[in-house]
Amino acid sequence: MVDFIQNCIDGVMIGAAYGLLAIGFTIVFGVMRRLNLSFGPSIMLGAFFGTWAFLTLNAAPWMVVIITITGTVITGIYVERLCFWAIRRDATIASMVSSFAVWMQLEEVAILMLPGRTYPFPEMFVSGGLNFGPFFFRAEHLTTLLIAVLMVVGIRLLLYRTAFGLALRAVSESPDAAKYMGVNPSRIIFWAFILVSLIGGVAGYLLLATDQQVTPYFGLWVTFKGLIAMMLGGMGSISGAVIGGLVLGIIETQTQWYLGNAFKDMSAYFVMFLVLVLRPGGLLGQGIVERHDLAFRRV
Amino acid sequence: MSDYAVSIVSNMGMIAFIALSAYVLLVVGNISFGQQAYFGIGAYISGVVTAMWGWPLWLAIVLGCAVAGSAALVIGTLTLRLSGIYFAIATLSFAEMIRLGLLSVHVQVEIDGELVGPDGAEGFGDIRWIFENDVTPFEFMTIIYVLLIGVLMVLVWVERSRLGAVIRMVGGDPLLAQAQGIDVVFYRLLATVFAGIIAGLGGCLYAHFTTYIEPNVFNVMLGVHSLAYGLIGGLGTAFGPLIGVGLDIGFLEGIRVFQGYRMIVFGGLVAVLLIFMPRGILDEERVHRIKRWLERS
Repeated sequence: MVDFIQNCIDGVMIGAAYGLLAIGFTIVFGVMRRLNLSFGPSIMLGAFFGTWAFLTLNAAPWMVVIITITGTVITGIYVERLCFWAIRRDATIASMVSSFAVWMQLEEVAILMLPGRTYPFPEMFVSGGLNFGPFFFRAEHLTTLLIAVLMVVGIRLLLYRTAFGLALRAVSESPDAAKYMGVNPSRIIFWAFILVSLIGGVAGYLLLATDQQVTPYFGLWVTFKGLIAMMLGGMGSISGAVIGGLVLGIIETQTQWYLGNAFKDMSAYFVMFLVLVLRPGGLLGQGIVERHDLAFRRV
Repeated sequence: MSDYAVSIVSNMGMIAFIALSAYVLLVVGNISFGQQAYFGIGAYISGVVTAMWGWPLWLAIVLGCAVAGSAALVIGTLTLRLSGIYFAIATLSFAEMIRLGLLSVHVQVEIDGELVGPDGAEGFGDIRWIFENDVTPFEFMTIIYVLLIGVLMVLVWVERSRLGAVIRMVGGDPLLAQAQGIDVVFYRLLATVFAGIIAGLGGCLYAHFTTYIEPNVFNVMLGVHSLAYGLIGGLGTAFGPLIGVGLDIGFLEGIRVFQGYRMIVFGGLVAVLLIFMPRGILDEERVHRIKRWLERS
């Protein structure tokens, strides 16, 4: 029982970072209805900038944080301009493929910058941990959780309490209607991308600083973890993304503990497949799929 | 032809199968991130059949395709309700389950004092059919292309028949197709199974060409690449995916100038291409115009 609860604690802490990644996907997908496969790779490239500065310029940890996040944002802007802004609005699949093509570019840039497989990533300022009864809280995990909670609250406030949030939600509802109301959709999308890259950069930093190493495969890992966390919880809502992230984190830590490392990813994909087959809308939010089904039933 | 050229051309042929399989699904309106699973199933099954059981290649191909097709039928039935990103992630999850599952499959038998068979992450080596039967790489390349042309002929024939129109309609607007009395579920399943068989066929050939396979060959990257080939080449005709494959493997492997920068150049090229041709090089409109031009002249 102690193990089980300890696993849940660890799962929630890692899941918090997954939740942030899922929020990134949800915002972009919600606003544009297009899938950005390059989300993970742009975070990976940002982290490679950070590691590169750490290894060659002996950058201090706080500078690595800034470089990682700025690198992610700059890469995010590049992706947005090339794959989303430049491509016609109705060509959703073209944007997805284009973001995949750019993924290949980003991965190669990372490999050219630091050839080799694994590089150390500087740890956070905090280390050690906290004992609470039989349970142990890693300091990195606590920091991750704290920052994630702050960010989720901040994102909610931004989306529901500011003019920018209102405009963003309007664009995601209907770009045309938003345009008539004097909102410029491409500007909102641009800023949404910057916001998402910021979130992603922070989440990526937290994950890497906990693991203390980075590889070019981190991009693939982030993209699919984020997508799965988003789909698990249900697309299109912040709370869905957070819950999806937490569920994914808990599933992973539990199976890793009880069944071993080999089953860690397997179980996550298995649960994902099961959720999609049985409850396609994710754990929250059933709306989209139900409407689709209804339309068919009418026919 | 030099050995290098033969291996490149053979690779293009084998990857073309999985690209065509992703293309068939795209035509019925499904984006699949998981066609590599059927490719892998075909490769493993056919490898087991020839290397462990010592059966002939044609039987291995039949069995490999049958198993891949059946898997596609099961997954297709389970995912019938899904579309768009939901379908993409469901197929991705399935493919990753297959890949991770293969990592823990250890079934080996002793043949001539050596252990042969899938050995988890160590892979499955010694699929020695081409050595045992003295098939040169060039001859095997011919086998690949004869089969590829066969598949292409089926696809072109379907395209010209009523079935092709029906399938395009199912992909274009399933609701409208349903309203016209078309059995959308049946045609989607048909396309899914056919796509699974094609990918399985490619996998069978791949296992025997490389003689060594491992689960990580069949990762998400293979699936997303095969999807991208069709979308770069265009979805108007079955030759579209071949253009995509040719561009990626043929063109860039051929030109060694970009060594080390290959993906930066290719990624940039594709991104720019998609800005000007969002539906690929040979999209429906362009295919239609070419057909009309051919008819007139």
